[in-house]
Amino acid sequence: MKTELEAIQAEALEALKDVNSLDTLESLRIAYFGRKGKLTDVMKGMGQLSNEERPIIGKLGNEVRAALTEAFEAAKNALESQQQEQQLEAESIDITLPGRKPAYGKAHPVMQTLERIEAIFMQMGFQVVTGPEVETEHYNFDALNTPPDHPARDLHDTFYLTDGHLLRTHNSPVQIRAMENQKPPVRIIVPGKAYRVDYDVSHTPMFHQVEGLLVDKHVTFSELKGVLVSFARQMFGDQTQMRFRPHFFPFTEPSAEVDISCTMCRGKGCRSCGHTGWIEILGAGAVDPEVFRAVNYDPEEVTGFAFGMGVERIANLQFRIPDIRTFYENDLRFLHQF
Amino acid sequence: MNVTQNWLKTYIDFDFSPDKLAERLTMLGIEVESVKQLGAALEGVLVGKVDAIRPHPNADKLVLCQVDIGETDALQIVCGAPNVYEGMFAPVATIGTALPTGITIKRAKLRGEESHGMLCSEKELGISDEAAGLMELSSDLSIGSPLTEALGLDDVIFELEITPNRPDCLSMIGVAREIRAETGNDLKLPQVNGQEGEADINELTSVIIDDPDLCPRYAARVIRGVKVGESPAWLKQRLESIGVGVINNIVDITNFVLMEYGQPLHAFDYHKLTENRIVVRCAAENEQIKTLDEEERNLIPDMLVIADAEKPVALAGIMGGYDSEITEITCDVLLESANFQPSSVRATAKKLGIHTEASYRFERGADPEAVIPALDRAAQLIAELAGGTLCEDVIDVYPGRREPLQIQLRAERVNFILGTTLETNEIEQILSRLGFNVEASQPEENIYQITVPSFRGDITREIDLIEEIARVYGYDNIPTALPKGDIPIPAPNISVEVRRRIKHFLLGSGMMESVNYSFCHPNCFDKIRLAADNSLRDTLKLRNPLSPEMSILRTTLLPSLLENAQHNHNHQIDNITLFELSTVFIQGAEPARVAGILAGEIGEGVYGNPHRSPDFFDIKGTVEGVLDVCGTTDYVFKKTDDPTFHPGRNAEVLLENKRIGILGEAHPKVLESYELPYKAYLFELDLEALADAADFSKRFEPIPIYPSVLRDLAIVVDQEMQSDMPIEIIYSTGGELVESVRLFDVYVGDQVPEDKKSLAYTITYHSATETLTDTAVNDLHDKVVKQLNQELGAKLRM
Repeated sequence: MKTELEAIQAEALEALKDVNSLDTLESLRIAYFGRKGKLTDVMKGMGQLSNEERPIIGKLGNEVRAALTEAFEAAKNALESQQQEQQLEAESIDITLPGRKPAYGKAHPVMQTLERIEAIFMQMGFQVVTGPEVETEHYNFDALNTPPDHPARDLHDTFYLTDGHLLRTHNSPVQIRAMENQKPPVRIIVPGKAYRVDYDVSHTPMFHQVEGLLVDKHVTFSELKGVLVSFARQMFGDQTQMRFRPHFFPFTEPSAEVDISCTMCRGKGCRSCGHTGWIEILGAGAVDPEVFRAVNYDPEEVTGFAFGMGVERIANLQFRIPDIRTFYENDLRFLHQF
Repeated sequence: MNVTQNWLKTYIDFDFSPDKLAERLTMLGIEVESVKQLGAALEGVLVGKVDAIRPHPNADKLVLCQVDIGETDALQIVCGAPNVYEGMFAPVATIGTALPTGITIKRAKLRGEESHGMLCSEKELGISDEAAGLMELSSDLSIGSPLTEALGLDDVIFELEITPNRPDCLSMIGVAREIRAETGNDLKLPQVNGQEGEADINELTSVIIDDPDLCPRYAARVIRGVKVGESPAWLKQRLESIGVGVINNIVDITNFVLMEYGQPLHAFDYHKLTENRIVVRCAAENEQIKTLDEEERNLIPDMLVIADAEKPVALAGIMGGYDSEITEITCDVLLESANFQPSSVRATAKKLGIHTEASYRFERGADPEAVIPALDRAAQLIAELAGGTLCEDVIDVYPGRREPLQIQLRAERVNFILGTTLETNEIEQILSRLGFNVEASQPEENIYQITVPSFRGDITREIDLIEEIARVYGYDNIPTALPKGDIPIPAPNISVEVRRRIKHFLLGSGMMESVNYSFCHPNCFDKIRLAADNSLRDTLKLRNPLSPEMSILRTTLLPSLLENAQHNHNHQIDNITLFELSTVFIQGAEPARVAGILAGEIGEGVYGNPHRSPDFFDIKGTVEGVLDVCGTTDYVFKKTDDPTFHPGRNAEVLLENKRIGILGEAHPKVLESYELPYKAYLFELDLEALADAADFSKRFEPIPIYPSVLRDLAIVVDQEMQSDMPIEIIYSTGGELVESVRLFDVYVGDQVPEDKKSLAYTITYHSATETLTDTAVNDLHDKVVKQLNQELGAKLRM
């Protein structure tokens, strides 16, 4: 019996070598371990053995069974892995086929710029305030120290409405409204649309501005410089240089136009900056005492500064669109670029 | 205005390079827009004289010229110009000269004859396009001198932008004064020592000012026996260098002094003035004047004119009259130098549409104290250059004389406003250099009494002086600091939050943001088929629109979005998904709206993500999403008869029975108006109403512990039945055990009877307190089915 068992083991192990599918493996398993299997048959003869032989042969039988079981398991695992690999290979795809991209929209490029400007000033404690676009002469001009026969009114070509109102030419009227409604300190920015009679490659009749106003007991021109320098560094990069030039606005005194070092040539001089190295980005100044008087603030008790910038202009420092009227065609090929 | 370096240097010394001067002026607030070196490219070009001409031995069209350039030997130059003649003065480009055309002159042999330079045309020198012959030079030029110098081209032109508050800088002397503030150098003003003749002006003419408010000062001189003719070269050069046209010596002198002092002058032909006298008055009814530009002007009574005894002879401060102008036969001149009220000049110039160098200055405010120096200067130049005799005395009617303005200045206030630490002596020095008289009125408190010079009409307050100090001290020298004050606490603003959430949602849903003009064409309401009495037609209108397309303010965003769709379709872009957040304009208010459009095709149109046409439920889902992100839940969609939309495919959005917006498929006639070949789906919602209804308060709800049980249910109902009716019944019958009901299929076809449809729902049953047993769910579900049958006649579809 011992010889028989050893022969079965050798024969089975030999047969396993030729197995190449799970089906043949199963048939082979039944041929040895099944109810009428060879190993089962041999083990059935155990009962005829002597008491001395039985434990020895029994032990051997168990060893053969364990060895064969292990060999069958291993063969099965190998075949399963092989089969899975084949299946995976069959499932291979062309990964250059297009991805199924979830649709996502984009904010308008002018709005993207406006929101960046807002975020920078909000970090500095400025509150966002808005106001009407249809305005009166009083808020748009008179309260801003620009009386009717003042030549400064020529600076803005104004759209008038048939009912005597006008479209604000800047966002400054909101500063007046804010000061009328609130006691100092005031620290606001006013984003929004403004209008001027102008239509060419660098002007649209409607455009966006962000104006700012800070009023408190003691606000200096130095602080105006500080706020705008922080803004420029965040907006245009921390290497940005800034230049304040004296200028004239009726509602600020002293007034300044503010330039940044050219974003194209970093101040060396190129075509974009007219070879000056500088690009004008905004107007600013200390709030004129007449403006404070118009809102019943006492110019001896408070001081302040104001600034204003054109969003399209700032957007276009980055985007370099040759005709800014393109912003308002809403051509989807254009909108998708930003 | 333009100034030139050489001209400025006659009034003040400075040794800035042109670029440095431009930078300093800019940093003083006089922005230099351009710097142009006139003769930069003409180095090596000299004034030459053609002494002799011989024929070229080997060429018919060429000649050999002996040209004197002031050296011992004349140059031989080969020339082919038709206009060359012996004795001609012409520009000579010597060997080594690089001409603006890019040619560099070398010694050359032309057809065997040596040529030591080139005689030039104006085109070759870049002076003009004249190329027909040599540039002929005046024979009084010095032979051998550099051409740029001889022609006054060795100069630099600065184009200045003068802000409206600084009329004093609209002159050479004014700009020189700014350079004085920068350098501290003294001004060199023209010396006037006019030799007066014997005739007394007071016997020849008189001046009456009828309206002293509009004419604070009027001065006149008379010069007799002038010879009107061409101006001398230096005077023509000066005027031409800044782009002022040359007319005749008298007019040129008035223009020269205008540019020098900023004081407009006018010369009348004395004998063309009726009774030879001047009356400054307002125009009479129906008066007319023919101005120098030969236009007949109708005058109205608030226009100030200069008149003689019977008629207007000039528009005060704007333009002279044609009939009294200086002509070749003028012999005696009455020269006017006056000051006019700015707003009156401005109003008249605007009404008549005439804008001149004179009106430009008077509108902004001229210096009343410049009237006499400018008059004397011009009178002397006329006497010198036009050979006349200056009459004795000057007429100077000056009803508007004012004491110089005095302003108190606190040195502490200067530093308080600017954030600087300026010393009092720095402040004193800056103001003195600007021409202010500085007197320490209360020295122990650093308080000054500042006297403002007459040319600085813009300085009336302490803050104006502080600005002067700041700009001369230099804005760049003012230290930079961050604000120290308290940061105010802003009030919460729900509409900002609503806008932000809606925008994020719409962008996330794949829509692109558009921004449109607030203007629109009045016909847009017809295009979207609004009823004649629709209140949206009640618009604000522009008095001065750019075009009909931009003549009213929009009351709805929908036409703009339809136009965007049209534009894109016309450019073959048909995946139209756009939204806009903006205010609209109704009488007395500017409510904010959000609107959107879906049209053409959505989806990427690639394998695996094909294009498809949007439908009503895309736009409805978008609106539902907008409402959801605002936290509003109690909204209802209800069909309307809004003519903009397909009558069966639209809905208004109701919140507590109030209409807050509309959505739907655009009516085919609307699509036709915008030339869209496919359906378009639109929505527009009132942001204010959304902000009012918005609810961002959130409370935690426990995650269900017990499992849910799902049951599908398909029922057959009448085709007209709205799909939400069974849902209401399911909820009301099932009570709190019905967690949700989801419609997952709608079927019409062979499997159901005609006029019927099948609706299939998934009902989720759930209890918060126990695991529902099958029996309990089955009982409840049966009840629901029964109820549907009873109330709606719904039959279970098997």
